[in-house]
Amino acid sequence: MKEWLLTTLGTAAAVLLVLPITGRAAGGEPQAFYRPDTPKFPQARTWVAQKAKLPPYKAPRTPDGVPNLQGNWNGPVGGGNDDLEEHEFIDVTTPPQESYVSDPPDGKVPYTPWALAKRNEIRAGLGRGWPGEGSQRLYGDPNALCLVGMPRISFGAQEILQKPGAVILLTTNTYRVIPTDGRPHMSSDAKSFFGNSRGRWEGETLVVDVTGLNGETWFDSAGNFYGPNTHMIERWTMVDPNTIDYEITIEDPTLYTRPWKMNYPKRRAGTGPGANPLSTNAVGAAGRAPASDPYAKEFWEQTCTEGNHDNVVILKSLGFKWFNAVVAPK
Amino acid sequence: MKRWFVVSTAVFTVACSVLAAMPAAAQTAGTYTPPRTREGQPDLQGVWQALNTAAWDIQDHGASLGVPAGRGVVDGNAIPYTPTALAKKQENFKNRDALDPINKCFLPGVPRVTYLPYPFQIVQQADRIAILHEYSRIIRFIYMNGNPHPAGKIDWYMGDSRGRWDGNTLVVDVTHFNDETWFDRAGNFHSDALHVVERFTRTGPDHMLYEVTVEDPKVFTRPWKMSMPLYRRQEKDIELLEYECGAYLLKQEWEKPDSALLR
Repeated sequence: MKEWLLTTLGTAAAVLLVLPITGRAAGGEPQAFYRPDTPKFPQARTWVAQKAKLPPYKAPRTPDGVPNLQGNWNGPVGGGNDDLEEHEFIDVTTPPQESYVSDPPDGKVPYTPWALAKRNEIRAGLGRGWPGEGSQRLYGDPNALCLVGMPRISFGAQEILQKPGAVILLTTNTYRVIPTDGRPHMSSDAKSFFGNSRGRWEGETLVVDVTGLNGETWFDSAGNFYGPNTHMIERWTMVDPNTIDYEITIEDPTLYTRPWKMNYPKRRAGTGPGANPLSTNAVGAAGRAPASDPYAKEFWEQTCTEGNHDNVVILKSLGFKWFNAVVAPK
Repeated sequence: MKRWFVVSTAVFTVACSVLAAMPAAAQTAGTYTPPRTREGQPDLQGVWQALNTAAWDIQDHGASLGVPAGRGVVDGNAIPYTPTALAKKQENFKNRDALDPINKCFLPGVPRVTYLPYPFQIVQQADRIAILHEYSRIIRFIYMNGNPHPAGKIDWYMGDSRGRWDGNTLVVDVTHFNDETWFDRAGNFHSDALHVVERFTRTGPDHMLYEVTVEDPKVFTRPWKMSMPLYRRQEKDIELLEYECGAYLLKQEWEKPDSALLR
């Protein structure tokens, strides 16, 4: 079994490896396979144009008088976050897709020259059989080792709960608690995968300021990265009863020439383009179960590390290195 | 003991809010009436933590390097193993540093997750309670939506939790376990026939009694119980931080040519 895997993986490496694992980030979404003629998935460009035409919307309020974002929300609809920037068909798991980046308008991450070279170096070492790859394997997607961080956790589906002084995001196997009670940040010297989140309400919008990120995970599986000095600001705004406009600003003068933004809609489970109206659970392992199933809304145990041993051993034996946070030279 | 407690409590509570000084013997499910949530349930919400040595050994034990001595949390201290199971427990104990499943940073099972030395946060909804653990960002859902345990057999690390209210006590019935977790570092173990019933009872504004009944006919001759107080973390702006066990372990093991884990 192991030998067969190694042989196959020598050629198809990351395609096979990454599949079961992107499932975690996507909250249990079954992996789709695409053809070269798959139409391009819309992301930021299409969404920015669409939302410009939406009438003003005032969300219902919670008993605490703040916008009520509670419910079960999908991540961005599309071919996954295999590559943040606009791209054509690359392989069966990477269909053509617009960029997630809404600002700058060209959809490119505004890396400094050094950071762009670094990103390209990482990409050339992905070992995925992508065009332009070098012969050396460098890093696998940290997500393939069950490492999840910001902002990729937001790319998946989640349930939003609100309590006095806090917004809580739940998935089948992890969570974020965002205090909205005005408490100060911890020192940003205290690094973590999810960082230190502080929320506040600005009219219709939940603004979440995230500091203390360790920079040890990526934005996507194609090597677009941030670092331990990166600061993220999320803006969650309901723009109709079933849509949250999710915008995140990324700031890090050591890696990017200017702050930049990603923007996409999160649709309430069972709504939005291509949704199954009978599916009431975007998050759970039973996410595709019809609403008539009494367990359809439950989140059942979803493991990652526990079943990932063979993937880890294979990635290591293929020569992939550990991805440590990238710090730009002074 | 009780009288000492009643007299000293008034002074104690006002004087300081040092949690650890609360005598465990005073932690009996008594007459305290907890506040209610908006949905009308007893409010168990907040950030809690066990303050004992049960994660190392749920029975009375002396100290060793890195392990504080401790009073056990098992009622009567003895665990009613079958003779075969007792031999396995002793073998586990001998090899605990190598065999403790928590070494792999996998999900630690119930009830061990509750008394790991990390805080956890209880979040209540009308038909579901979520327990968010700092340890490995584990999320545990307790369903109170009327659904029974799903049909088995299911091998889950954390089991399937179904809750109900018995007065002010949250009673959680947990089943569908695998046999890959231990109760502690000392090799106390169970099989996939484990059945756990937990009782969470607020005993005061900042204290909660946690009682566990353990049943496993493949390993124990009869059900047995453990109990311990849980303490509300008092720090201003307390919040769950991050302990990504799997990430730290993997990072450490990745570069080791002789890593036993990555073989």
